[in-house]
Amino acid sequence: MQEVLNAATLGSIYLLFALGMALAWGTIGILNFAHGATFVFSVLVAYWITQSSPLPLVVILLVVMAVGAALSLATQLLVFQQIVNRSRSHRSTELRIIIAGIGVSAIPVAVAQRATGSSPFGFDTTYRSREFNIGGVHLSTTVVLILLAAIGIGVGLTLWLKRSRQGLALRAIGVDSEVSGGMGVNRSALALGTMAVSGALAGLAGALLTLYLGAIAPESGDPLLIKAFAIIVLGGLGSMGGAVLGAYILAGAETVLIQLHFGTWVDAVSFGLIFLVLLFRPQGLFGRKEVRRT
Amino acid sequence: MSPTRTTKALLACLTAVALTAVTACGSGGSGVVSGDGIAENIQIQAVNDQTGAVAYAGLGASRGAQLAIDEINDQGFLGDGVSISMGQSDTAGKIDRAVSDMTKAMSDPQIAAILGPTMGQQAAAVAPIVNQRKVPTVFTQSGAEGVVTGDYTFRATAPMESYYRIATQWLADNDLKKLSLIYNATFPTFAILGQDVVPEQAKELGLDIGQSLQTQSTTQDFTGQAQQIASANPQAVVMLLTAPQSVTFLKQLRQAGYTGQVVATSVQSAGNVAAAGAAADGLVYPVDFSSAMDTEEARDFVEAYQSKYGETPDPYAAEGYDALWWMAHGIKASGSSSREGIQQGMTQVARDGFTGAMGEISFDGNDMRVPGVMVRWENGEESLIS
Repeated sequence: MQEVLNAATLGSIYLLFALGMALAWGTIGILNFAHGATFVFSVLVAYWITQSSPLPLVVILLVVMAVGAALSLATQLLVFQQIVNRSRSHRSTELRIIIAGIGVSAIPVAVAQRATGSSPFGFDTTYRSREFNIGGVHLSTTVVLILLAAIGIGVGLTLWLKRSRQGLALRAIGVDSEVSGGMGVNRSALALGTMAVSGALAGLAGALLTLYLGAIAPESGDPLLIKAFAIIVLGGLGSMGGAVLGAYILAGAETVLIQLHFGTWVDAVSFGLIFLVLLFRPQGLFGRKEVRRT
Repeated sequence: MSPTRTTKALLACLTAVALTAVTACGSGGSGVVSGDGIAENIQIQAVNDQTGAVAYAGLGASRGAQLAIDEINDQGFLGDGVSISMGQSDTAGKIDRAVSDMTKAMSDPQIAAILGPTMGQQAAAVAPIVNQRKVPTVFTQSGAEGVVTGDYTFRATAPMESYYRIATQWLADNDLKKLSLIYNATFPTFAILGQDVVPEQAKELGLDIGQSLQTQSTTQDFTGQAQQIASANPQAVVMLLTAPQSVTFLKQLRQAGYTGQVVATSVQSAGNVAAAGAAADGLVYPVDFSSAMDTEEARDFVEAYQSKYGETPDPYAAEGYDALWWMAHGIKASGSSSREGIQQGMTQVARDGFTGAMGEISFDGNDMRVPGVMVRWENGEESLIS
């Protein structure tokens, strides 16, 4: 039972991080490789503002979400939107966005490295995690918070995309950007809104992960970025439900391997599993069978 | 640093022997040579990470080296009017940039020696070029294989495994014999320690490693491993993890209910474990240098460093400092600041050893060895326990 809880917690962390990426990639087609840097920089701001005195967790969460949203918006406005405006083909746009994302990510990471001397850093909060032992299962309030946040946001985003008009418009952009524009969808405004939500989720994931782990490093976003990428591909591009399932499958596989003392095989086996799934189901678990954007 | 009288006397003798040898044998022999004498301005180049993921190591090394240069120049250690100056290149965590900057420095005939990269992969990439171009290069950190490979490559950081014995001995002395081991098996230094060194030493000292858990460099969550260790409840845990991993592991280990002793590595020094807060209290680990060391040389170094930079030196600074003093002793021993003279002088100093900020320094070939000390982390500060 403890292992199930461990897997659920790890999966929730992956999910919180992956949701923002999945939202932007699966709808407006932005594969944002600066998502990890947004995550790190949000926590860095929390680290700065709590250096003199601790702050309540709710304040920290609001700050990191605001910072994440602002950084993501700035990236969209100053970088990605400029690339979209200047590119001729969809393929070259995607490639340039990936490269630009990698380039942009270097800046916040460099700032974090300079500010912390590349040492682990966290934030000081008045919140104190309480530990419980229920039927031999060790649980903490932080774990409950992470589980609730991940599942709540995951389910909420899935439903919102499926049932709301804005969600429908976003999905329409994901299927065919030009046709959706012709149908009256304001692509630029929706892209900005999506990136803001995506950045806020990166900030939230950063704060909750730091709360759970104790500290992160300036480079902590990189391994999560790769895992989020794998989760989205596994779940199926464009499917938030797929991302939810993908995150828990990856975390479940990792937890089993750790339990069996195969700690060094975690990445190899987890990504091997994803590779196998994609061999037999290239569109991922819940992906659209054919997505063509021109 | 002020060399001890013994060292001074030894150096004087060495210099005399060197000059005699030169007179007798000319400059073609394998002994210490004076070559073309000591130049008035000796230029060296620091090529290490000033930015990037391990910038702390490069920054520390260069700061320590600069402090040593100031002292060497102020003391007139190499003679009246002789001064060392150091240029700085930033490899920014990139191997290609390290190769490029090193090649550029080696192509400049004015550069007599180099303070080399701190990152193992960078150092291993440039080491063959160093030996080919024959430019004496002292690396700090750079714990990878393939760094000290020829006559012109030197390393001023003792490999962690060379002094980890003091940690396992401390466990044995404190009767902490039932151990759990957790190590990052994809990080070369920890892989060597976790797979070979610690198990071998444990066997010799009668310690029982009941549990050995491996992780990867990408592992960020240690909940499962912490619970496994807490369930086994060993007398002590040997933790061989990177700095951010250590912070998380310690917090999660305490949350899992483990209250026993944790023994770590020098990675936890320089305040890297501070973010773990109270979970790190009581942590012990061996280091090649601690600002809490009480030798005269260490105290002088700490005082001078604080005076110059306004902060307490970390081991990276001590390594850079001793690296430069090694170089200066080498120049004095050979009586030459040519590349060949520095190489031969440093080799001579390596044979004899010297006293530095890190203590009584000895060598295995061109590779530094230090006695090391055990420290305890408590309430945000290190204190000596051996």
